[in-house]
Amino acid sequence: MAGSGSSDIVHSTAAQYAPYILLLPMLAFPIILYLGKALNGNKMWKDTLKEGGIIALGVMGASLLLSLWLVSDFIGAYGGMEMLSDWTWFTSSMWSAGDVATHEVSFGFGIHIDHITVLLLFVASFLCLLINTFAIGYMNTDPINDNRNHRFYAEFVLFCSGMLGMVLADSFLWLFIFWELMGLCSYLLIGFYYERPSAAYAAKKAFLTTRVGDVFLMVGLAVLWDLFGSLDYAVVFDSYNIEAVAASSSGTLAWALGLMFIGAVGKSAQFPLHVWLPDAMEGPTPVSALIHAATMVNAGLYLVARMFPFFGHEALHGDLADLAFIIAAIGGTTAVMAAAIAFVQHDLKKVLAYSTMSQLAYIFTGLGSALYLANTLHWHKYLADGTVNADYYVNHAIVVVAFGAALFHLFNHAMAKGMLFMASGAVIHEVHHAHHHLHHHEHDDHHGSNNPEELVMLAKHLSENDQTVYDFFKSIDLDDSGDIDMFEFQKALTATKIANLPPWEMDALVKAVDINGDGRLNLPELDLALGRILSEVDHGHHDEFDAQSMENMGGLASKMPITATAMLVGSLSIMGFPLIGGFWSKEGIIANTWRVALDDPRFFYPAMCVLLGAAMTGFYMSRMWLKTFAGSPKGEVAANVHPTNTWIKTPLFILTFFSLGGIVLASMGFTHWAPDIEYGLMSDHGGLWGGFLYEMEHVFANSDPFFFILTYIALFFGAIVGPGLALSLYGGALDEGEEAKAWFGPVLALNAAIKSRYHWDNSAFAQSGFATALSNRLYFDHYYDMAMLKIVAAFSNKAAETDAAVIDGTIKAIERTSQDLSTKLRSLTTGSARDYILMAAVGTLVLVGLIWGVVA
Amino acid sequence: MQQTMQPFDEGFVTALAPELILVVGLFTLMIAPNMGDGKFRLPMTQIRLPYLFGGRRGKLDSDPRLPGLFASFFFVVAFFTALLSFVNGMTTTAIVTEDGTTLLKVDEFSRIFELIFYGALALASIASINRMPATSRNDRSNAGLYNNRRQVDFYILLITCGLGMSVVALAQDLFLLFIGLELASFSTYVLVSFMKESKEGTEAGMKYFIVGSVASGVGLYGLSLLYTWSGSLQFEALHNAFIESGMEPLPLVALSMLLVGFGFKVSAAPFHFAAPDAYAGATSPVAGVLATASKAMGVVGLLRILIIVASPEATDGAAVWLVALGVLAAVTMTWGNLAALGSTNPKRMLAYSSVAHAGYMLAAITAIGALNWEPANITESKNAALAVVTALVFHLVVLVCFKLGAFLVLSLLESEQGGHTLESLGGLAKRDPMLAVTMFIFMMSLAGVPPLSGFVSKLLVVMGIVKAALIESSVNGSISFGDLHWVWWLALLMVINSAISVFYYLRVGLVMFFHEPEEGRQGPLPKGRSVRFAIVACLVMTVFFGVGANVLISLCESAANALIGAW
Repeated sequence: MAGSGSSDIVHSTAAQYAPYILLLPMLAFPIILYLGKALNGNKMWKDTLKEGGIIALGVMGASLLLSLWLVSDFIGAYGGMEMLSDWTWFTSSMWSAGDVATHEVSFGFGIHIDHITVLLLFVASFLCLLINTFAIGYMNTDPINDNRNHRFYAEFVLFCSGMLGMVLADSFLWLFIFWELMGLCSYLLIGFYYERPSAAYAAKKAFLTTRVGDVFLMVGLAVLWDLFGSLDYAVVFDSYNIEAVAASSSGTLAWALGLMFIGAVGKSAQFPLHVWLPDAMEGPTPVSALIHAATMVNAGLYLVARMFPFFGHEALHGDLADLAFIIAAIGGTTAVMAAAIAFVQHDLKKVLAYSTMSQLAYIFTGLGSALYLANTLHWHKYLADGTVNADYYVNHAIVVVAFGAALFHLFNHAMAKGMLFMASGAVIHEVHHAHHHLHHHEHDDHHGSNNPEELVMLAKHLSENDQTVYDFFKSIDLDDSGDIDMFEFQKALTATKIANLPPWEMDALVKAVDINGDGRLNLPELDLALGRILSEVDHGHHDEFDAQSMENMGGLASKMPITATAMLVGSLSIMGFPLIGGFWSKEGIIANTWRVALDDPRFFYPAMCVLLGAAMTGFYMSRMWLKTFAGSPKGEVAANVHPTNTWIKTPLFILTFFSLGGIVLASMGFTHWAPDIEYGLMSDHGGLWGGFLYEMEHVFANSDPFFFILTYIALFFGAIVGPGLALSLYGGALDEGEEAKAWFGPVLALNAAIKSRYHWDNSAFAQSGFATALSNRLYFDHYYDMAMLKIVAAFSNKAAETDAAVIDGTIKAIERTSQDLSTKLRSLTTGSARDYILMAAVGTLVLVGLIWGVVA
Repeated sequence: MQQTMQPFDEGFVTALAPELILVVGLFTLMIAPNMGDGKFRLPMTQIRLPYLFGGRRGKLDSDPRLPGLFASFFFVVAFFTALLSFVNGMTTTAIVTEDGTTLLKVDEFSRIFELIFYGALALASIASINRMPATSRNDRSNAGLYNNRRQVDFYILLITCGLGMSVVALAQDLFLLFIGLELASFSTYVLVSFMKESKEGTEAGMKYFIVGSVASGVGLYGLSLLYTWSGSLQFEALHNAFIESGMEPLPLVALSMLLVGFGFKVSAAPFHFAAPDAYAGATSPVAGVLATASKAMGVVGLLRILIIVASPEATDGAAVWLVALGVLAAVTMTWGNLAALGSTNPKRMLAYSSVAHAGYMLAAITAIGALNWEPANITESKNAALAVVTALVFHLVVLVCFKLGAFLVLSLLESEQGGHTLESLGGLAKRDPMLAVTMFIFMMSLAGVPPLSGFVSKLLVVMGIVKAALIESSVNGSISFGDLHWVWWLALLMVINSAISVFYYLRVGLVMFFHEPEEGRQGPLPKGRSVRFAIVACLVMTVFFGVGANVLISLCESAANALIGAW
């Protein structure tokens, strides 16, 4: 919906073109899809246009240029506030609701631009372009993608337009629409290799899990609509409207925001809706980089950041502090939990996935703290009663810096994680190629699972015959009871010529599938069991060699120098290594959470979590780098890896500088890039140099002793304890004769020195129940599956019955009745003009009667 | 700006330029194909004067496609003339006779209806260019001319139809309006039965003619009663007479009889019976014209009679025709939708759907009758009336895009002897994917799926009705269910009917995308460049008027203003 007015509207030329930022990729979607259908197999389409990759690159480039124009315009007009460019579909004065004065509702799309928009806009369009570049090098060089890359690029651009649209939209309704568009594209892209059951399963899981959050978001938005009578930012963020709502129903508003936050939890994969993110790594690596690092997961953060005007409003002072705490607590929990799970992952991409969860959790904690501060401090120039606020300068700076730290971490994390995913993609790509090169004839059809052989055969039988589990189940459920017993199952196995088993063996087989232990099988049980088996079989069958496992890597620093450098810089940035990108924001988040903890003891929990998380981050990121790039190659494959291609290297190269340049960005004032007009870039502390001095002093020599010490504690944890442990456990010197770039020297030397100095044996930990629990992701999936089976499946069955009897029954009845009526009515159309005239005569009489009758 | 003039005064040609262009086109069509090297021998001499008629025809004018090209050209020129004069700012022109009787009035309202008529006719004419059977274009003899005689007749009828429709839109006198109506109707009667080769066409045309003349006869009788009563058929005079003594039996009976005449034109139940037969028997472009332009003409008539002549403010509270029209609307939309549910002939299905659309439009007009014209409400009521008429005009404009478009798609199928059963659409997605997608978009628009224009038009109509129903209660401040005027139920019924209609619109998509082609219908469809051009034009407008609705809405608003702004 278009804004119906805002106080300070700066009309900028760039803003007029802002809709094209999202329209271009959206239009490219059908074009690429169509061209792909039409031209697949064409040589020019394949080699020159990269099956649509170049078209996608073109539109994403154009989007980036427009975004940059808009961003520079915005920075230039800093001090003004919002720029709106509306496209009105139509306007209606029909509706008004809630506590807000009547106004016209216009349907249309408008652009809302403020600090948050601009930041996310740059992140999204910039990373989308780079990842597109990377994808050309990654997707088009793998023969299994031939003739279907157009589908990838089409879905990719649609996804990008969803993200860009969500960021630019000027109402929560449009935000939600684009949010769902992203959800759809995420489903399509994770399931890109839909012929793999594991990918299809992961796609479903991601879609359904985020949907849980989305339902809450939708309810939250409905409540918000009820309160404000509109979802336009211009209306809901209007100061008078917030006051009006706060006066009568601040509690309801808190609930609305809380429900919306659950949506953000789902989208950003936070506890307890985090289970989809690791599975989503089934998608191609560019998808992981795009969705699970650079853009989609940021949507949840964006939504929470958008709520700032509510938290910051004087009228709601203190009313939303509990919600802020919940946000921070969820963040803190996820930060530690995800980091712990990342300790034991062997899959390169999964480590990064958990790292993403953990870092997003940091941002949530940071946002929670910032929102708490905004809600509890008097940080406006004037107090609610109109008097001048004495603490204005201090409090204002605190709020702005806290919010800025969270946003800056979002920026740093997106840059670093996008780069890390692309670098990991490069590694996987090259390891895969090396493996392919070495063993390309051996196809070992061996699988090492302990599933009953009959079930494996059944699963294969189904996938070979393209039969769904549902159809299979229906076909063997002879008595139509909704679950099958041993005998029906046995009959089915015999019929499919898999096995004819004696009852006692059937009993064992049923037990292997029967999760709820009632001795009978129902559809979800069979579906789960077969799905799991299929995915295991598929992994085993597809290639026993796992190109993503760090157990197959090692010593790659000398073979892929650019990738190793990028990965090193990215890891350091995520760890918060001094002076590099993530350091500035992470320190900020930790400091601000502690600042709140001093004020509100509840916040000790998230504060401790983020402090502990810093050390854990240091450990798992170092572990990842060392296992992949340091030490000697584990196995023949890793020894034969070659550098990667230019399409892949370019984005890595560019992003390396963005992470390295964190200090420049911090000095420019990005640490307080918060939605407030009082602070500008390059202006507060006397230009770049002044900013640099200010930031350095602020971090390393804070005048407040508490924060002074806190900085060094955090540094000690994050940059010494964590990495130190990893250095002593993993990696080691490269093999003799392997040459690495000079800048790896200190790292490798330190690694070799520490590792040889401390011979710690971590096998006790590795074999402990805790490690097992961690590598099973703390059994979340298990519990969810159980809950699904016990509660949801039972409910679903009941619901399905009701549906069939009541709803379908009603619909069918309506349908039957109207078809009957239809036949009757049409039988009046006899085809004889005489009858027609008769009917017309009757109609005339009725009309005369009605008109005359009304008067008489 | 306003001006008054007598016929053929200065400015007359400018004001009526579109119609005059059509007249020129009419004569061109009569003359051009007959041009040849015919010579006239002066009696008693050997001097032969070439007089250009008859004889051996030239290469160009013996082309059987010539009439179609000419007609399309003139329609397009007339369309753009009307559009340009509209966009460049209208001068409202009243054309009066010497004794002061207003004959025609050119304003935004009549202009937008001209646009509807000419747009629909131009598309139908373009689409017909390669649809009419014709003998070889190399036959330059007179025999060839006679063989291709029908080519000219068809387009001449289209043009006279267009002229009649314009007269309806322009007329300020009920009698003149009726003459225009009959001119257009007679043309359509012949057009429907034009395909004399097929039995259905002839039969349908005959039935359409018989039922149509009965309806016209009843309408004309009502007209004569009105004249007996007030002594004038001028809208102004009738309007004043209605305010004075509109409750007498004579005008009421006359009004209901007029309703019958126009009810037939918009195919309102139960006067619609001949329509499905006629649509199914006529060629698809003609059926498309019947469903769009001809219907728009009927709506003009209804609006003039109900809103201007027997205007709601003539009585206190509500209009006399309120209940009658409400019943008519409810019956029509329900009947149309239910009958469409079971139709297996896509043309009949579209015919019934157009009956349903007539119901929606009648519901909109009913809402105007429900307005309360007490002084306290007058501004609100006027706004509501404006909104309703805007919605109505918008609906009629966009109907040309997707309803005519759907008929044109069927016309392509017809050219391979199909299109009479739903199954002949089977497998269209494989045979011609773009065409199938286009047809699907038309169906979605008919069903009212956003962001297509069909959605906007339905939404505007529903919002208009609800707005009208809300007037009284919103004046009081708070809105409660009991305060709503009963026309609100018409809006609800319309929404329910729309839901029902989705079933049969989607079924077309189902058949196109999931059914296999019928035996003997594999392979690509005939080329038909001009039909495809018209279809693409419809498609572009369907989407554009949905996404860029604001442009059209403002045009329609100005038209609505011209109709009822005078109040």
